[in-house]
Amino acid sequence: MLETLQLMGQGFISALSILNLLAMIGGVALGIVIGCLPGLSAAMGVALMLPLTFTMPADTGLIVLGAIYCGAIFGGSISAILIHTPGTPASAATAIEGYQMTLNGQAGKALATACWSSFWGGLLSCISLYFFAPMLAQLALKFMSAEKFWLGIFGLTIIAGVSSKSIVKGLMSGALGLIISTIGLDPIDGTKRFMFGQAFLAEGINTTCALIGLFSMSQVFILAEKEIKKRAKAAKFSDRIALTKEERKKIRPTVIRSWIIGNIIGILPGAGASIACFMGYNSAKQFSKHKEEFGHGAIEGVAGSESANNAVTGGSLIPMLTLGIPGESVTAVLMGGLIIQGLAPGPELFTKHAAMTYTFFAGFVLVQFFMLAIGMLGCRGFAQISRLSDAILIPCVTVLCVIGSYAIHRNMSDVIIMLIFGALGYLMRKFDLNTAAVVLALILGPISEKGLRGALRVSDGDIACLFQSPVSWVLIILSIVGIFSPFLMEKFEKKVTGGEVLDEE
Amino acid sequence: MKMKKTDIGVVAFMYAVCAFFYVYSFDLSEGSKSYPLFTIALLFGLTTLYLVQMILAAKKYGVESGTDSVFAGFLPKQLILSVVLTLAYVFLVDVLGFFTATTLFMIASFVYLKVPVLHSVIALVSMDLLIYLAFVLFLGVRLPAGILI
Repeated sequence: MLETLQLMGQGFISALSILNLLAMIGGVALGIVIGCLPGLSAAMGVALMLPLTFTMPADTGLIVLGAIYCGAIFGGSISAILIHTPGTPASAATAIEGYQMTLNGQAGKALATACWSSFWGGLLSCISLYFFAPMLAQLALKFMSAEKFWLGIFGLTIIAGVSSKSIVKGLMSGALGLIISTIGLDPIDGTKRFMFGQAFLAEGINTTCALIGLFSMSQVFILAEKEIKKRAKAAKFSDRIALTKEERKKIRPTVIRSWIIGNIIGILPGAGASIACFMGYNSAKQFSKHKEEFGHGAIEGVAGSESANNAVTGGSLIPMLTLGIPGESVTAVLMGGLIIQGLAPGPELFTKHAAMTYTFFAGFVLVQFFMLAIGMLGCRGFAQISRLSDAILIPCVTVLCVIGSYAIHRNMSDVIIMLIFGALGYLMRKFDLNTAAVVLALILGPISEKGLRGALRVSDGDIACLFQSPVSWVLIILSIVGIFSPFLMEKFEKKVTGGEVLDEE
Repeated sequence: MKMKKTDIGVVAFMYAVCAFFYVYSFDLSEGSKSYPLFTIALLFGLTTLYLVQMILAAKKYGVESGTDSVFAGFLPKQLILSVVLTLAYVFLVDVLGFFTATTLFMIASFVYLKVPVLHSVIALVSMDLLIYLAFVLFLGVRLPAGILI
């Protein structure tokens, strides 16, 4: 206990270095810009910025990515409130009351509510991060080869099943990713596999190139195939971006309720910020003493939605950091960032790399303060950016994709890989396949293979070794539940959104 | 739900991937191909399951084209031109140098997408500056120089 407190304290001291503070400011500002642009998503933003973190110390790199994540989730509320277009699906529920408040001449108040609630949602979610992550990491210590294999399968069934319209299509996407993950040198005996005479494939498909292609380049193609529409003008507002003491008191219970909801949703693999925002909004409506205000610009509605979606951020990091199971596309990309730094999710993050992990946690706490400050001070400026046309975004994002993938190994073959995955991602999204499942399979594939072959080697090829430990059985059962969870999630989503289809990406 | 004709393409693509990797797995040693074969069998099985689902849906609810949802608001000319410009850009990076190729690509894209001149100039200068500061100065990436810069 004392040791943990010491690590926490040291984490804050390290996080307060000039470099880390600059990383937080830059990351949050960039995240808000990405979030408030309706064509861009949090996953895409984090993927695009991955190459910039290569040369940074691991903690700083992760702080930048975490800051972009938090900033993007909050940033979506700005365009939701001012132009009635959620920047990300996570702010879809914010648009309901937020835009009504704008029409009532209370845009400043709505933005202040979004900032304040996002801040508290994100900050409180850090509590669970500090509390549950080390506990779950202890559990992961018990995992041997067979358990690691089943853990990989569990992670895949969750993301492949939940994020797709068709379970089988989601699983097919995961299986496709697993096949692609076998390209390169055999991780056990070093045999060349599916390299087609290309030496640059020896290390396998570079995860960062695949991430940039699947999330960012594919989005460019999606934007390029549609008519470039002029965005609505952001509403001008003259009221102050501030909340009175009474208003802060009024939204307090809503914020706390939504924090709990968002946090639980975040920890659950597969459910994400877009579901949390509707749940937060619905609970705010249900428990409000002023139900009549809902639909006409209820401040509690904005607070409920924004607190819940930002509370997801801390929670969603828990299964990713401890078990290596990213519950949604943004955390899958973040896990890519972790692996790029040479770190593997699991117990080692809380033992060997504890100093780095606790610096990241402390950074994640401080990011919330910067999000509040930058959000409050910069709302008017960000509102103008949110109108940026897709015609400008298309070439700019393309250039960032090219330079980002080139910077990894400083050769054009990575750019070609990125373009191939961009085309694949575009087609997959057009035909309702799941790009996040491919990314996850690329990450989990080699881990599963090592687990499977390691277990079989120890048992002289006896497949029964995969079914011997109780932990393996728990993971097998969870995988089966994971496959069928879309049925439950679909019903749940319909219930909280009133039938609206949400896209986590 | 009706069977979508567009999903036939998805199934064909997945079978093609299975066949492609299966054929290439012949050259691998026993130990080395065991896991790839497991993944190929997994994709093959799931694709077949999806095919069965499609056939059952077709028998029960009928068949629809599916192109309406896939190609809603689709502008083929704009997409193809964007792809061609991107490919030309990637090709020219090595030939002309990164900054020259980037400038040409962005100007061509802005002209085609009818971006006002002032916005184009601001975006172009900002991007070149951002790349120079972030990638050249901060990360120390040596960008392709080509015959120009």
